[in-house]
Amino acid sequence: MGEGMRVGLKYCGGCNPEYDRVALVRHIEESLQGKIAFVSPESEGVGLILAVEGCRTACADLSAFEGMEIRVITNIEAGYRFIQEIRAQVE
Amino acid sequence: MTMMTAEQYEESLRRLNLVVYMFGKRIGNVVDDPIIRPSMNAVAKTYELAYRPEHEDIMTATSHITGNRINRFTHIHQSIEDLVKKSKMGRLLGRETGCCFQRCVGMDALNALSIVTFDIDAKHGTKYYKRFVKYLEYVQENDFTVDGAMTDPKGDRSLPPHKQPDPDQFMHVVEERKDGIIVRGAKAHQTGAVNSHEIIIMPTLAMRQEDKDYAISFALPSDAEGITYIMGRQSCDTRKLEGGTMDQGNLLFGGHEALVVFDNVFVPWDRVFMFKEYEFSRQLVEQFAAYHRQSYACKVGVGDVIIGAAQTAAEYNGVEKASHIRDKIVEMNHLNETLYCGCIACASEGHKEPSGTYCVNILLANVHKHNVTRFPFEISRIAQDIAGGLMVTLPSEKDLQSPETAKWLKKYFEAHHDIPTENRMHILRLIENLTLGTAATNYLTESMHGAGSPQAQRIMISRRINMQEKQRAAKKLCGIEE
Repeated sequence: MGEGMRVGLKYCGGCNPEYDRVALVRHIEESLQGKIAFVSPESEGVGLILAVEGCRTACADLSAFEGMEIRVITNIEAGYRFIQEIRAQVE
Repeated sequence: MTMMTAEQYEESLRRLNLVVYMFGKRIGNVVDDPIIRPSMNAVAKTYELAYRPEHEDIMTATSHITGNRINRFTHIHQSIEDLVKKSKMGRLLGRETGCCFQRCVGMDALNALSIVTFDIDAKHGTKYYKRFVKYLEYVQENDFTVDGAMTDPKGDRSLPPHKQPDPDQFMHVVEERKDGIIVRGAKAHQTGAVNSHEIIIMPTLAMRQEDKDYAISFALPSDAEGITYIMGRQSCDTRKLEGGTMDQGNLLFGGHEALVVFDNVFVPWDRVFMFKEYEFSRQLVEQFAAYHRQSYACKVGVGDVIIGAAQTAAEYNGVEKASHIRDKIVEMNHLNETLYCGCIACASEGHKEPSGTYCVNILLANVHKHNVTRFPFEISRIAQDIAGGLMVTLPSEKDLQSPETAKWLKKYFEAHHDIPTENRMHILRLIENLTLGTAATNYLTESMHGAGSPQAQRIMISRRINMQEKQRAAKKLCGIEE
């Protein structure tokens, strides 16, 4: 089975997150197994950056990814929408 | 190397040759001493979290000197975002450790010196800035923990340094040589001193010409010859010797402070960043103090822990739905988030200095710290209110383990039936630790006096407020023409 799209994973710093970001990422990974593979955002062949922000301040530094496709998650519901979006794209 | 892991940090401390005394004895193995170890664990957390992807964004930065990824504690702030992330890093670490993680003072000293050395050179044509940047690169590349040492013992507070009966009450130069200087004095209340690789000395007062021998700033390895550390006691410190898993409260982390004595210590010139340019001592003190007052963002994180503990205690007691309990929790959060407002505000309103370093808004940093001298005490009071008197009458965990008494403790200290009595005891011990145990050293008394006592902030607020503008606004609105 191929690994699917390489998605660069970028977290905010997690100073006071409103949800468990790591658990959400784990859930996204399990739900989209075979469709995406989370890699370091600096990796080669990254098709998309997923910014996992702990709150709506969304202060993660994304300046290094200018020009790339970026999706921003600031809560659990946005994570679920991302899962649906990727599934729809792949199907 | 650039960024050490927590394990590498621990090993690096083992290579130091520190002279440390505690309870009247020389400590042979500082790293593993049970009283000191929790403080090492707290500093180690600053290294560990830098490698975690979910915290890397605030724990690391890009060095403006080398372009390498570095731990934010060795970074010179290059933007407003850097200042804000420093505040957020403080909250994160305060919450993860529940104590003082000790590394901020060095970061604040480095940032203050990056500004002041530049300004001294601009006025006097000296070479301090270049010397400092070389030292900074050394710190960054080795990912050192630096103790930023400002507070002199001070002796008779009514007398300036040069009039003290004992001239060593303030750190000063005793001899100038071709290759460096000899200094003598001490620095008190030094947080994390024996967990540090380097120590930076700064003057503690704005010095005048008569005190120019005291207007010195320099850096040394923490185990330089002639330096002696005498550990400070903390409330309930010897609980760490009892070998238990409950009565310490915070099982993993803690802070420490020490008196650091410099007995005729040699400092090579390439480690000297200010030498008798007394007119810059005030700027160094004020800018270091502003950065360090911002650093009390850490207490917001510790506040998160104490609020979580209070809520848990309320749930274990079965009173979490009572309206007065809910209101008390709201009050704790209000106070805690107000502190957060302050550390974010002073960062967001920062500015760029001629050296390129970004500095916090000094007025707002002092306002923030002045709140920190008060709000943790009220938060603690409410936590003790919710915890109840059992917090200070609870028998030892040894009684919980003893076959003769365990059954009575489990029976009579059970509150909510579904909650093991041991859990209730654990959470009460944590609240005790934070409000009157070892962690209260930092959460309360250090909140009061660290980075300058309350009056110091009131002086700065008074100096920095633009009263003329306020009066102009008032007079205009009520029709006074002058």
